[in-house]
Amino acid sequence: MRFIARRLGFFLVTLWAAVTLNFLIPRLMPGNAAIAMMGRYKGHVNPQALHALEVAFGVNAHQSLLSAYFTYLGNIVRGDFGISLTFFPDTVTHQVLQALPWTLALVGVTTIFAFILGTVIGLVSGWRRGSTLDGALPPLFVITSAFPYFWLALLAIWLFSIKLGWFPESGGYEVTTTVGWNWTFVTDAFNHSVLPALTIIVTAIGGWILTMRNNMITVLTEDYVRMARAKGLKPWRIMWTYAGRNAILPNLVGFAMSLGFVVGGAILVEYVFNYPGVGWMFLQSVENQDYALMQALFLMITVTVLLAILAADVATAILDPRTRERG
Amino acid sequence: MTVPSFADPVEPAGATVGSGPPEEATRRGVGADLWRAVAHNRKALVGLGLLLFFLLLAAIPGQIAPDDPRAKIYPRGLGPSLHHLFGTTAYGEDVFSQLVFGTRQSILIAFAVGGLATLIAVLVGVSAGYLGGTTDGILSLITDVILVIPIFPLIIVIAAYERNSGLLTLVVVLGVLGWSYGARQLRSQTLSLRRRDFLEAARVRGERKSYVILHEILPTMTSLILASFLGAALYAVLFAAGLQFIGLGDPNSQSWGTMLYWAENNEALGAGMPYWAIMPGVCVALLGAAFALLNYAFDEISSPSLRLRKLERKGVDVEPETAVPARSPDPKNILEVRNLSVAYASEQGAVVAVDDVSFELAKGEFLGVVGESACGKSTLVYAVARLLGAPLAGEITNGQVLFKGRDMVTLADKELRHIRWRDYSVVMQSAMNALNPVLTIGAQMRDACEAHSTMTKRQIENRSKEVLRLVSIDSVHLQSYPHQLSGGMRQRAMIAMALLFTPELIIMDEPTSALDVVGQRSLMVQIKELQEQLGFAVVFVTHDMSLVRHFSDRLLVMYAAQVAELGQTRQLFEKPLHPYTEGLLDAFPSIHGAKEHLVGIPGQPPDLLRPPASCRFAPRCPYVFGRCEAERPRLLEVEGELVRCFLREQAAEPVPAQREGVA
Repeated sequence: MRFIARRLGFFLVTLWAAVTLNFLIPRLMPGNAAIAMMGRYKGHVNPQALHALEVAFGVNAHQSLLSAYFTYLGNIVRGDFGISLTFFPDTVTHQVLQALPWTLALVGVTTIFAFILGTVIGLVSGWRRGSTLDGALPPLFVITSAFPYFWLALLAIWLFSIKLGWFPESGGYEVTTTVGWNWTFVTDAFNHSVLPALTIIVTAIGGWILTMRNNMITVLTEDYVRMARAKGLKPWRIMWTYAGRNAILPNLVGFAMSLGFVVGGAILVEYVFNYPGVGWMFLQSVENQDYALMQALFLMITVTVLLAILAADVATAILDPRTRERG
Repeated sequence: MTVPSFADPVEPAGATVGSGPPEEATRRGVGADLWRAVAHNRKALVGLGLLLFFLLLAAIPGQIAPDDPRAKIYPRGLGPSLHHLFGTTAYGEDVFSQLVFGTRQSILIAFAVGGLATLIAVLVGVSAGYLGGTTDGILSLITDVILVIPIFPLIIVIAAYERNSGLLTLVVVLGVLGWSYGARQLRSQTLSLRRRDFLEAARVRGERKSYVILHEILPTMTSLILASFLGAALYAVLFAAGLQFIGLGDPNSQSWGTMLYWAENNEALGAGMPYWAIMPGVCVALLGAAFALLNYAFDEISSPSLRLRKLERKGVDVEPETAVPARSPDPKNILEVRNLSVAYASEQGAVVAVDDVSFELAKGEFLGVVGESACGKSTLVYAVARLLGAPLAGEITNGQVLFKGRDMVTLADKELRHIRWRDYSVVMQSAMNALNPVLTIGAQMRDACEAHSTMTKRQIENRSKEVLRLVSIDSVHLQSYPHQLSGGMRQRAMIAMALLFTPELIIMDEPTSALDVVGQRSLMVQIKELQEQLGFAVVFVTHDMSLVRHFSDRLLVMYAAQVAELGQTRQLFEKPLHPYTEGLLDAFPSIHGAKEHLVGIPGQPPDLLRPPASCRFAPRCPYVFGRCEAERPRLLEVEGELVRCFLREQAAEPVPAQREGVA
């Protein structure tokens, strides 16, 4: 499993890069935003909150840059991101963990669903090249993939909530329902997630349809597909086991690479819908200048994306025997 | 300066690389080619039209917009009217004027970020690909890390510290973070170019690295650089609008994103000013769509395999020169090919790759089909096997292929499927490419068995082991994947697969050309032994006549899509009738013959797009005389053989079709 080991190494390098960026960005800003910010808060917030900021920026008057960096790394390893200013005196970690399930359920599920649906549409469209389906869908999705996520979200609210009243306008659930595993809450949460989910699917699916279609067209020119025809296999079998299974391999790499883009869009969707997930909380923290929370959420988003990429790597290793050995 | 022609596009990374230099073209030629390609692509035209429209708005907003976008002089929240096309804002400004004036910033951001990101992508990608080694390792790692870190959240973090930052900061941040995808593409393209001969030549000439990169590599990557620019521009427009929308841009700037920010803050959609919120988004989406459509179109223009070509039938259906009258097939023949013609669609028109070819194959016979590459021999056998199609859209335009008495040309796909592999099978040139890389050998054999029989799992396994034994491969390799076998073993495994149902005909397309000389020889012996043992007929395609000398019963020599000569192998070797056959004999060493001086055939085969109306071999023929360049030679029968040459006319008997007459 040298392939997986190597990808794990890449995962760690990228994680380290993100953590270090997180440490450096406040310091690299003109006039050292971190120090300036600390000065602004001094006297206005209590010592505990001040400590939260110190942790977030690794700022400590008695520390050199390097030792501040190591203190910061140590805190992160322990999961200590300080205390949130917005939700004072709650810890950042606790806040983040509250928002996470909402995002995993909304963005995670819809992204995977969009990927699978887009891959299947692209596969069929490439296989039936030149058909009506192939003539209509790819150009349509080239255009929808250029739609700004947040704008589509606005339109969806306007049309389906304000005009038609089919779905709730914002939030993750009605404040009157009790949060928990009861039927009312689950259906209510589902109703609230329909519009944001559709928005993400419509904008994310286009890219995957197009790449899968083009991979499929390339793979269909391969000798092994011709060989499958020569063997007299059923078209269904050729499409899936011979063409599709090989065409999906580069699409998995594409999935990993465009995930960051999709997540960026999903943040805006949560913001527009006031959906109580990580993205919404992230933008709240930006608005409230709650930097400790903001930085923790950025790391959180990055780690989630990296884990998803690792999962795509594992899927590649399972589907492609060559990666299993070559390493 | 040499600039690549768009008609000679850059191959996608990893595609087979040719050895020639990029096609030389004048600057005007490139412009004209590109324009023609764009004019024929609807997506490109729509994208270009949209982009030009926005460029116009950005250039002269004052001439187009009716009002000053900041003049808060109208009643607030007006609906659309003739005066206010999209109504007014909650502050009493004209929405339409704001839209027009907002265009400039989006266009500026798109082009500045696109340019900056592309510049970095070219620098990093080309250096990594060209310099290789540690440089490549480090640059690729950086590229990959930036690629997977979620850029938009990172930009938000930066913007949170740099609130209300100006346009310049925005462009720099977006540009510095948005180059990685393009760099990755350019790197793999450079890697594939590195092995090309024209770069090798430049290195041998002692050109400086910077010269090679600027003058040899970059010009061949125009379309990828363009794609990188368009991709970055699209992402810049979307991200910039997103940032401004959430209030991280300059709230006083004239832009679509800022309009959306104010519209959202005033709940424009709910408050009866829908156009205030909808139209800026429409503009962002349309400008984005323009970049996306152009990107998609250039992708199609630069990789020919993505374009769908339709065969122009006009001028292809030529009357066959020797129409074979309808007659029932001879039962001693397994295969009768009659007046078969195949054409490919190309940008310039139809290419007739197989031109009126007829031959017969008796049961258990071994027929060699020989000729230089691109003479149509592979196309001929794939047409016979009804395996034309991708990668090139070949089509049978005329003729019959009678296999066991049934015409394969008119057979429906479903009927065809039932006789495939049971009655005839195919062995391809490279087993590496012809075996599915993600399935084991055993699974690929099981596939075929399940498609054509009701054998149990146990029976299938036994049969698979049996055929592997026939080609002396250990049965443990049923569990092996193709890449785990050696070249020779892969080739034999494919032959084993072809024997699963002991078909009556096996079509072999250069099955030995991937092997070394020793491997070729032993595989030929094995094929011949199997043929004698099992009694199947073989059509064997090769460019090397000496390879089949001792194995084939008859030889079919093809030149420029036509039959040049057809006869007994021994007779052809001893007394070739066609000057081309003679040339082929001189071009290859005999496997165990005496040392001889090898003479190739000078010149190139003719362009099949516009084949000459005279003898197709005349320009290369050492015996050429006046008539060869004036008339088209017909197929003659001489001493029981067929030959297409004026030199043999005296000895010729009437053409075979007329002799045989109606049966």
